[in-house]
Amino acid sequence: MDAETMKMLAAGLCMGLGAIGPGIGIGILAMGAMQALGRNPEARGPIMTNMILGIAFAEAVAIYALVVAVVLIFVA
Amino acid sequence: MPKKGCLGCSFPVVIGVLVVLLALTVISLLSGALGSSFFGDLGLPNWLSVGAPHVQLPAEGIFHIGDFTVTNTLLASWLSIIVLVVLAWAVTHRIRLIPSRLQSLIELALEWMLNLCQDVAGEKNGRRFFPIVTTIFLFVLMNAWLSLVPGFGSILITGAEGEPIYLLRGANTDINMPLALALISFIFVEYLGIRSHGGLGYMKKFIRVGQFSRGVGQLFRGKLRAGFGRLFNGAIDIFVGALEALSELVRVLSFTFRLFGNMTGGEILILMMIFLAPWILAIPFYGLELLVGLVQAIIFGGLTLVFATVAVAHHEEESA
Repeated sequence: MDAETMKMLAAGLCMGLGAIGPGIGIGILAMGAMQALGRNPEARGPIMTNMILGIAFAEAVAIYALVVAVVLIFVA
Repeated sequence: MPKKGCLGCSFPVVIGVLVVLLALTVISLLSGALGSSFFGDLGLPNWLSVGAPHVQLPAEGIFHIGDFTVTNTLLASWLSIIVLVVLAWAVTHRIRLIPSRLQSLIELALEWMLNLCQDVAGEKNGRRFFPIVTTIFLFVLMNAWLSLVPGFGSILITGAEGEPIYLLRGANTDINMPLALALISFIFVEYLGIRSHGGLGYMKKFIRVGQFSRGVGQLFRGKLRAGFGRLFNGAIDIFVGALEALSELVRVLSFTFRLFGNMTGGEILILMMIFLAPWILAIPFYGLELLVGLVQAIIFGGLTLVFATVAVAHHEEESA
């Protein structure tokens, strides 16, 4: 298998596997936020703000995987 | 008889707009890569076809000032600085007690930011952190949103080797700009911590040899069991301190790559969508980019705020 094929394969695997964790994490975060919202609809402001903050943290890990995949395809 | 219509426009206008939208959708589906893979070469005019996106991570230089290369991302960041300064001047050069419309809009944004700072950091500290946090927020936001304005990415000039390069490119997509902002945020947080705790006091958070040395002292005094227990806890404490120091340093990297990755990923995504089906497929992703730009700006400023609050907070010393 030559280097070009290997790089494509690596980039695909990198982004694919790297998105599993953050996907599950964001789902759990949103589930917690929905439950909290269901119990206390009046606290919508703080709940949504903190949920967005937590989601951005979890998403950052997926973005690290994206950066590695992009570097594999376009730079390496 | 009231004018019948939809969304405030008369029926002919609505039908006209719908027809134009449908035509644009069909043309874009046919002329992009999707269309050419389904229908083959339809012989559409040359100006309708979009070339495959050529992504280049380092920024391209435009001109040189002496030895210093001015890249297109630097030009874009100068543009956003100019826009912010002109906006600030326009709002404040005739500032009134009963605000004009632009002034009340900017006051809305700034007051929201001040409330966020004071909610997270408390009254006094919130006011103290407000300038840097809001500057970071506005700069990142303006960089991200200016690159979505139509016409921003369309100005092409010929580079040194004759290849076409873009005159302007979103400043957040150059890794140097998020790195610079992350370093500024890091220095800001460390400076605040050192100023409020004293140099040695702040270092004590990372170099925690207190318990370890107390354990050694107890061993020398003959209390073996208590000494070993405290030695063990002291070793864990030293490890935790080193881990805290490491996480402070990794913060710089995490800030950089979060902003850079989000912005570059968004730009590549829009380029790919424009390549697939030029107009129709890019529109939802433009909306996504607007949202992502705003969220990333809030995240950068908000995280700086949170880390500064943690650095200034006086921890209660746990008595062993």
